[in-house]
Amino acid sequence: MTTEITVPEDLWEGDTEGVITAWLVDDGAEVAQGDLVAEVMVEKAQYEIEAPVSGKLSIARAEDDVVAKGTTIARLEA
Amino acid sequence: MTTTTKSASRKLTIARAMAEATAQEMRADPRVFVMGEDIGPLGGVFGNTRGLYDEFGAERVRDTPISETAFIGAAVGAASDGMRPIVELMFVDFFGVCMDAIYNLMAKNSYFSGGKVKVPMVLMTSTGGGYSDAGQHSQCLYATFAHLPGMKVVVPSNAHDAKGLMTAAIRDDNPVVFMYHKSLQGMGWLGTEKGATVAVPEESYTVEIGKAAVAREGHDLTLVSLGAGVHHCLRAARALEEEGVSAEVVDLRSLVPLDRDTVRASVARTGRLIVVDEDYHSYGVSGEIIASVAEHAATRLKAAPKRVAYPDIPIPFAPTMEQWALPSADKIVAAFHQMLNES
Amino acid sequence: MQPTADQRRWMYRHMVLSRYLEERIEALYMEGKTPVFNMAKGPIPGEMHLSNGQEPCAVGVCAHLEAGDIVTATHRPHHIAIAKGVDLDAMVAEIFGKATGLAGGRGGHMHLFDEAVNFSCSGIIGEGLGPAVGAALSRKLQGKPGVAVAFMGEGAANQGAFHEALNLAAVWQLPVVFVIEDNAWGISVAKQTSTAVPRNDQRASAYGMPGHHVADNDVEGVFAAAGTAIARAREGAGPSLIEIETVRLAGHFMGDGEDYRPKGEKEGLTDPIPRYRRALLDAGVFDEAGDAELVAEAHERVETAIRFAQQSDFLPPEAALETVFI
Repeated sequence: MTTEITVPEDLWEGDTEGVITAWLVDDGAEVAQGDLVAEVMVEKAQYEIEAPVSGKLSIARAEDDVVAKGTTIARLEA
Repeated sequence: MTTTTKSASRKLTIARAMAEATAQEMRADPRVFVMGEDIGPLGGVFGNTRGLYDEFGAERVRDTPISETAFIGAAVGAASDGMRPIVELMFVDFFGVCMDAIYNLMAKNSYFSGGKVKVPMVLMTSTGGGYSDAGQHSQCLYATFAHLPGMKVVVPSNAHDAKGLMTAAIRDDNPVVFMYHKSLQGMGWLGTEKGATVAVPEESYTVEIGKAAVAREGHDLTLVSLGAGVHHCLRAARALEEEGVSAEVVDLRSLVPLDRDTVRASVARTGRLIVVDEDYHSYGVSGEIIASVAEHAATRLKAAPKRVAYPDIPIPFAPTMEQWALPSADKIVAAFHQMLNES
Repeated sequence: MQPTADQRRWMYRHMVLSRYLEERIEALYMEGKTPVFNMAKGPIPGEMHLSNGQEPCAVGVCAHLEAGDIVTATHRPHHIAIAKGVDLDAMVAEIFGKATGLAGGRGGHMHLFDEAVNFSCSGIIGEGLGPAVGAALSRKLQGKPGVAVAFMGEGAANQGAFHEALNLAAVWQLPVVFVIEDNAWGISVAKQTSTAVPRNDQRASAYGMPGHHVADNDVEGVFAAAGTAIARAREGAGPSLIEIETVRLAGHFMGDGEDYRPKGEKEGLTDPIPRYRRALLDAGVFDEAGDAELVAEAHERVETAIRFAQQSDFLPPEAALETVFI
């Protein structure tokens, strides 16, 4: 089963776009639910993206990519 | 609350690595606490105390007034009284308002007590430019601190070393200045160097203070640097490889104590030396490294050594000027070509 | 707050100890420094800041302190060190630069550290304030008893460190007492030339802490003010500031011509020791014979310390390389 990792709607206030500053796990790695997987920066503030479920990570959006709320940035294969 | 991944490939930014080392030491040792400007709920202007306030509270993660003289002096007093404070000087450039507490007090109390008074504290401070913050928020000042006796000085280039050096610094019975380069912090707005975000073990570990690392092996040329400069060197080494030149990169990691042996051993093999430093050119780390090699008979140089360092000017604001002045991989490659032409 | 007879005798004795030590240092210091005054010569080289006249500040405060309490002192530290209970033999040996000194001769008279009684001092104006605040914070964080007292001269109240440290101690409500020894002179600059307020205790209000003023170098006035401030700190009610009008009977340092002092100013100063002696005789704390015995004992204690220092060796010079790091 595939679960998408999207940028949560409530991660920051407003509709400003952000940028992925770091993937903290390699593409293809196994991650556990709740693991910190990426950082997204909006202006000077940084936000954390956690894995919603456990599974094998497949990165869809690279570091330095601009993302909005709801953007799918990776998939998890359980 | 920060959660950490269990994955073997887990990577951290230097900011997170510093926070993780601090949190682990705070859990293990109630004497460890953190003080500084904006290190509480904000988590540090450069992210290196994120999560600590939530876990440990306002008593052990203390936001201070903008009073560097008082709170760095207070850290010395607390350390002398048995605590292990970690204190943040937000930008190293701000040392001008509080250097007395650092070099006359923190660095000298052990000596003036004949070794009876311990000052086990960490002074962490951000360095470096490249993002147009001009000359009062962009300096490195590595040599300024390393020059003055009585304090250890470490400068990590990646998150693995940052965590290990931070743990070692907190456990050290001497004052340690932990200088972290802003472009390595993983804060995107400071121009993040991707190479600094690397795999970091979750368990606690130390990186020995005073030991350099060979970041890349080679046999034609030795590139010596620290902090962000290591990444310029690694890029230059990759470019030189395409020309058939094998460059070794030495990451100093510590300035005090300075691992001259590793530098000399490398230069003894390669016979060529370029030192890369984002601190000022004159009277600095680059001169010290070259002198350390030159005064040692076993390290015969095949060519005069070179340095790629910051010119002796205040750091300018305009991006065109600042980027022109900063060290870069291109400048390192050019310095090597010049070295070949001269020899 | 009135001192007991024992406390009075203790304060007087420590004033006498300090004064006699300084009289002996004064004589020894000049050996080898005449006719040409060469600061590097003689059995006690270097700068020498004598505290005679200021003894009431030290004893009136330290009478309330225990070994576990913290004191940070100034470049003029002898009277405070003695009152805080610093090992006298090791202290005098340090002043002579000997191996048996507190730091083996690495520090000298401005850098005396005795961790057994939590005493330190420094040659930089206002430098002890931050450490006192930090030591008080340490006790608060550890839940350990103890107050920290930072001594300074009146000149230090114009340092940034003074204002930063008072604010920090107040905002964190730490057990600190700031004690200003106002001897009216910052080297050669008179207090009214340098300081915008007539009395620095007025500055306490800027930091929301009590300010106490002690006039006329009064030993028991110091004792009372310090007693109130230290009790407040011990109760966890926060810091206080005390300014004591004291006198500098000597120059800033030995060799000071003091031409800057107005004619007759020094002659008009009262030596606090004969005055307190008279008061204690009148109060029946001791009689003439009891005083003579106390003074003789104090003198002998000082002579013992000086003999210890004189008979001690220097460390080998290369020991200078040790204890930079532990």
